[in-house]
Amino acid sequence: MAESTAVKRAPVAAGDGPRHLRARRGGSSASGRGGSAGGRQVSRATGSTQTMMRLYTDDAPGLKVDPVVVLVLSLVFIASVFLLHIYGKLTSTKD
Amino acid sequence: MGFRFLTLIRPFMGIIPEVASPDRKVAFNQKVLWTVITLLVFLVLSQVPLYGIMSSDSSDPLYWMRVILASNRGTLMEFGITPIITSGMIMQLLAGAQIISVDYSLREDRALFSGAQKLFAMLITFGSATVAVMTGQYGDPKSLGAGICLLLIIQLFVAGVIVILLDEMLQKGYGLGSGINLFIATNICEDIVWKSLSPLTVNNGRGPEFEGAIIAFFHLLFVRSNKFRAVYEALTRSTLPNLTNLVATVLVFAVVIYLQGFRVEIPVKSARFRGHRASYPIKLFYTSNMPIMLQSALASNVFMISQLLYRRFPDNLLVKVFGVWEPYQGSSQFFPTSGLTYYMTPPRSFLSTLKDPIHFVLYVAYMLTACAVLSRSWLDISGSGPRDVARELREQQTVIAGYRETSMYKELKRIIPTAATVGGVIIGILSISADLLGAIGSGTGILLSVTIIYNYFETFAKEQAELGGLGVAGM
Repeated sequence: MAESTAVKRAPVAAGDGPRHLRARRGGSSASGRGGSAGGRQVSRATGSTQTMMRLYTDDAPGLKVDPVVVLVLSLVFIASVFLLHIYGKLTSTKD
Repeated sequence: MGFRFLTLIRPFMGIIPEVASPDRKVAFNQKVLWTVITLLVFLVLSQVPLYGIMSSDSSDPLYWMRVILASNRGTLMEFGITPIITSGMIMQLLAGAQIISVDYSLREDRALFSGAQKLFAMLITFGSATVAVMTGQYGDPKSLGAGICLLLIIQLFVAGVIVILLDEMLQKGYGLGSGINLFIATNICEDIVWKSLSPLTVNNGRGPEFEGAIIAFFHLLFVRSNKFRAVYEALTRSTLPNLTNLVATVLVFAVVIYLQGFRVEIPVKSARFRGHRASYPIKLFYTSNMPIMLQSALASNVFMISQLLYRRFPDNLLVKVFGVWEPYQGSSQFFPTSGLTYYMTPPRSFLSTLKDPIHFVLYVAYMLTACAVLSRSWLDISGSGPRDVARELREQQTVIAGYRETSMYKELKRIIPTAATVGGVIIGILSISADLLGAIGSGTGILLSVTIIYNYFETFAKEQAELGGLGVAGM
């Protein structure tokens, strides 16, 4: 939500933000909707104090995982716990 | 010292799993899809019981934290988002206090810092899983056997890693918002829906009754011959959720959403382009739900320590002053009955405030002060205080209309801390009144979920507006 994006934006803006913003500014005022675009740009930063974990969108050198892999992993995990339960049920009734 | 700490993390960076960023902007529909899938995975995780548990009906030391941590006892979501929150909080506090120095403008530092948070969160998961199993939370480790113990730890650990990855996935732009918020809100909404529509029947000596408040209302209307009494009973039954609770919940929802709209609009203008005006809104709830979240995190830690101390040394005078814990009315859950912690727990109902007004007064005083102070100090911790906002405005080359660039800070300093403090107090009042009215899912929980859901609506609106804007530009 707004929070996380804003938290992430802030530090980025410190580096190469102004240049990027200037470009946006110019473009938006040329298209005649300057006011609203500017407002949105600014307002994105408010009330933005919520997220606990600051993760940054830029990639870190890590073990890259595709989101699909994450999903498959979690489904496999859930399935295996289910299997464990079923296995447990079967063995306990035989006793 | 600081840089050394981050460099310590570097060798581990290779093994920390990391969700690849989307290579192009994910479409709105796809974001919704990803969010829904994540949600489903989370819901399943929080329903599947852990394999190998023998018992889990001793008093729950984490009882007070369950709401904000989106965790369910005895399921794969035993820890919920605890590791993420704990590690994030500690790392940010350390970075805020300059103990770890992080230069956010450096790409590598940012990567190392988020890597450190994830590594720390995984370590916490593993640590608390081991502690939970070894201290016999799921039954005596000796009678469980080494194999089952290992299996339990593995289950808890893998579930924890999955939650971390799901959260990261959403934050990186595949989904909407952050996983943490999504999970908290879901957990609470699930509770509310369950308590109003649950089809379970319970027999309390007056014949079978439905657990869900709405279902019970219709059931009583049909079954009882005296319709007036039936309505009265549906409104006031005390052991199960009743209609008043539901109405109170809806009321609190409405009030919070109404108050979300309160804001001070500071007119700003661009220093570079003449006539380029906009407004910078400062919300009344400037710190959003942070005060209540911090307050409950604080309180639940105090409760946990006090409860453990009381169990270990029930006769020590100091421990007794800290808090005396007794099981409440036949359940195995412990609640404080006197001592300092007693004054930190919300009154059980409206009636009990009349019985013990001192408790109520002290509780209100504590709550409001805590919320105000925490809200105020969150400004500094999170870097959203007046100084930071002033700097941000300056970087965007905007000034407040009618002010010089140098006096901008003064003006912001006048508004932002006031908004934060007043917002904190109002959040506190709302939470207390929700508890008094008996709203479902506790005052804290409702406030958290409403603010989160409201933020989601804002995100939706923004996405839609951007879509619309693009459409117009395309034509």
